[in-house]
Amino acid sequence: MKSLLIKTHEAWLATLMAALMSRTTENKRVLTEFSDILWRHFTWIENDLIRRGVEYDYDRDNIPIKVERLSILLTDIVRRMNEIELLLVRCEDEALKNRIRTDLEYMRYALGRLEDETIHAFDMNRRYRDIELDEEATGALTLFLFEESYKEYELIMIYNYLKAHSDDAFLNRIFQILIDESFFHLRSFGEMMAEMGILGVPRVIHQSLYKVSDVERFLLDGIDEEIAAKEQCRELSDAVASKSEELAKFFDFINYQENYHIELMREAVAHYRAKRSDG
Amino acid sequence: MVVDNELVRHMADPHNYGNLEEPDAVGIGENPENGEKVIIYLKVAEEGEAPRIETIRFQAIACMTTVVAGSIITHEAENVDFETAEELIAVTLGMLENYPPEQAACSEMVAVALKAAMDNYRLKKENPELPAVVYKIEQSCAPEPVPNPLENPKES
Repeated sequence: MKSLLIKTHEAWLATLMAALMSRTTENKRVLTEFSDILWRHFTWIENDLIRRGVEYDYDRDNIPIKVERLSILLTDIVRRMNEIELLLVRCEDEALKNRIRTDLEYMRYALGRLEDETIHAFDMNRRYRDIELDEEATGALTLFLFEESYKEYELIMIYNYLKAHSDDAFLNRIFQILIDESFFHLRSFGEMMAEMGILGVPRVIHQSLYKVSDVERFLLDGIDEEIAAKEQCRELSDAVASKSEELAKFFDFINYQENYHIELMREAVAHYRAKRSDG
Repeated sequence: MVVDNELVRHMADPHNYGNLEEPDAVGIGENPENGEKVIIYLKVAEEGEAPRIETIRFQAIACMTTVVAGSIITHEAENVDFETAEELIAVTLGMLENYPPEQAACSEMVAVALKAAMDNYRLKKENPELPAVVYKIEQSCAPEPVPNPLENPKES
């Protein structure tokens, strides 16, 4: 079952990356939907592992995605789905096993019907739309996208782990909002990276980041990080403001979203403290 | 920092990123100011008197500059004997004297993690149960602390 979790994790990311690199509306739509489905499979398999008391982690192999045509990556995703299907024999939850199997069957069928397309997500053109940025602003944007796309993936995995191990409805609502928000940011940054020809899979996160022993401390540190991220967004917005109103407004928009994350994290800290003083 | 295509390649697909199953040695380079760290895993081959780094992997709980430094330094350290790796560490640390501390800290963290891993390998010959060796860096890359209103809240 641990292998099933790892392979599903890898298939989810490969499909998400395929969705980001696609420039065809229909391909992008289908691949985005399928990556969401694989993510849900991942969380259900994880829940099954927790229920059965099996130790697990979010380690995985690196995922090669550098292709010139989408069809090459689609073939690889189908191969990954075939592997997952073989591993399903180890899943004891019949309902879950059947659900994943029938999903895989349809997804492989549908992937086989997608139109092929040329991929530009690795050509390092380093341009976003028709916006003229100087070398310094392009460098700042590039660094930001790499740092933050990894950070958003990290946050998705951390909050997912915390949520999977918590039965506190108040906290789980907050964790789910933060997961959803990070998905949006990861997709937004990934789309920009693909357009700039610099798409990369976020690196594997270390266990110590999500196997958190002091959640309150983690949240307090997280608030500091969000404040720092806001500052980075503001600096980036300033750096590109004279060249592109569109980019400046986008980074302000992301910056303001962080305000709500900080408030939610403060609520979570207050909740932890109240629980601790009660009990 | 100049963000050229070579740098982008290291960020998008860093050399040797990840962990190793059953490594012969593990070393950690840590920034005591902000908790950032680099972990280096080694598989070592013994050939005569000089151990040789057969396989090297690293993980970074740190910024992207550290990942780039890890990609470059571990790539250089692949398949070299310990003596050459020590020289690589010395050259790296020597070069850092010319860099601002906040940039130097990232590479220093990788260099001391490699040193820690090699020392871990040597020490494990005496004590095979020895855990990872941890070395702390001297440079500082900690940003100015941002006040967090939830810590030490003011009495109302």
